[in-house]
This record gives sequence, C-alpha cells and structure tokens, in this order.
Amino acid sequence: MFKDLDPILHSQLRLAVMSLLISVKEAEFTFIKEKTRATAGNLSVQIQKLKDAGYIDVQKQFRDNYPMTTCKITKAGIKAFEEYVASLQDYLGGR
Amino acid sequence: MQETEHFSGKESLELITSMINKAKDVNHSTGLTSVMWGLVIVTCSLVRLAEIHYGFRMPFDIYLLTVIAVIPTIYFSIKEKRESRVKAYSDSFIDNTWLSFGIAIFLLSFCLNVVFADIRPMHEEYTKLAGHAAAFNFYDYTSSFFLLLYGLPTFITGSSMKFRPMFWGGLVCWVSCIISLYTPVKTDLLLTAVSAVFAWFIPGLILEKRYRKAKQELARQHV
Repeated sequence: MFKDLDPILHSQLRLAVMSLLISVKEAEFTFIKEKTRATAGNLSVQIQKLKDAGYIDVQKQFRDNYPMTTCKITKAGIKAFEEYVASLQDYLGGR
Repeated sequence: MQETEHFSGKESLELITSMINKAKDVNHSTGLTSVMWGLVIVTCSLVRLAEIHYGFRMPFDIYLLTVIAVIPTIYFSIKEKRESRVKAYSDSFIDNTWLSFGIAIFLLSFCLNVVFADIRPMHEEYTKLAGHAAAFNFYDYTSSFFLLLYGLPTFITGSSMKFRPMFWGGLVCWVSCIISLYTPVKTDLLLTAVSAVFAWFIPGLILEKRYRKAKQELARQHV
C-alpha cells in the first residue's frame, strides 16, 4: 500500500525549492531563482504556496535600500520533505 | 523551470538529487582574506629572514603585522556575510574552526614568550660560563609549532569544502612542520613563507577568481 504523494511537494518547481532549502540554512530569493532558473513571478507564487502550507519561512527585509527576501525551511517542511522522499522510495522500490 | 505536476517518481528523485548538488556548490568566499593572510605571513617570514641574514633590526617587530591584519579580516568577514545570498550549515563550523585557530595562535605566541623569558637568563649564564652559546636553541623549533597550527584549519576547510588547493596547502604546512624540525631558522622561515603561499595565497587567488566568475554569471542572468 503506497502513501499518496504530498500534492504541495509533488510539483517540479516547489520540489526544487524545497530540495535547495533542505540543503542550506537559508537562501535568498535571487539564489533560488538562479538555481531553479524559474521566472520571478512563477517562483513568487510557488514560494507563497509553500509558505501557506507552513513548509518554509519567508522573511522580507531591506538591504542597502533594496528589498531582500530570505527563505528558510521549517520543521514541518523538513518532516514533509522526508515523508515525500520515503513515499517516493517506497513507490519506486515497490514497482 | 516551469510548474509541472505530471512528472514521474523517478524524475522527482532526479530533481531532488540535482538540486541538492546545486546547493552544495555554494561558495561565497571572495578569497580576499585568504590572499591577505598569505601575503602577511610571507612578508613577516621574509623580513625576519632578512633581519637574521643581513644582521639588522626593523624599528618594530614585523610580526605586529599579524595583529594589524585582524582588523581588515573582521571587516571582510562581516562584508562577505552581509553580501552572501545563502547560508550553508557548514558556515558556522568553518567560522569556528578559524576562530579557534586565531585563539590557538595567540595562545601559542603567549606561551612561547613566557618560555623564552624563562630560558634567556639560563642561556646567558651558560654562555658566560662556557664561553660559547649553547648548541640547543629553542628558537630554532618555534616555526614547527606555528606550521603545525597553520595546517590544521587549512586542511579542515579544504577537506570539508572539497576545495583541493586548500587541502594540499594544509598538507604542505604539515610537511614543512616536519622538515623545519631538522633545518636552521633561516630555512624554517623560508618554509613558512612557502607554506603560506600554498595554504592561503594561491587558494585565495583561486577563490577570488571563482567569486568574480560567479558574480559575472549572475549579472549575465540578470538575477
């Protein structure tokens, strides 16, 4: 019996963002944009969805008069990511 | 990257692996601190070597440069942290390694000064009684202690960051540490200068080049 894959994480860009954030302490929006090669608009929407799900913390502040958005994975995000990977491994291993 | 919800489990795992690997490729050091310390130690060692070889003394102790260099080190470190777009888990580990190295170097210098202060009268008395200086001079061995410490944070940083030039630089320090036990002071100072070039100056230049390249790449992508 396979667990359903978390629909929040089972999306290419959101999964890419979570995979980046699980590897680092925190990252700026520009860094995530550069690594995922997503457009700013699309990335903003997906980050908001991850934030609404409680998987990431988003902090907006100013640095040298420029807006700066920093993202950090939450405990709930780590748990969800681990469960997603475990479900994937079950799914791939069981086929 | 587009928003796609129809991708297979295998593709998901591939995406996760690829993103984790991209996140590993995080190096925001400008290399400036490393280059600066390489130059400082080379300057100190070569000036001290010249003092011994040509028999003159500078109006101040050249190793005071290392104390002065702490100020730009703090400035560059704060600037790098502020400009960094990503904080890795290994950052605090590397920072603490170099902080403990700085403390260890300070303590070693302090300990050696205390030892020298105790040994000096003994040496003077021996020279007076024997009519010649003692064959054993503790000063001949001090470079080995410093080289031992130089290798430690350099090797740790090089191996944990998977940055080969610094990894080899750390090993050069330790090889020099062993050699310097058997060589005269002037050779020890040369070995220290060579070690500083391999441990910090060259790796710093490589980091600086990488940093510039990454910055240009970022500007090209307009992010």
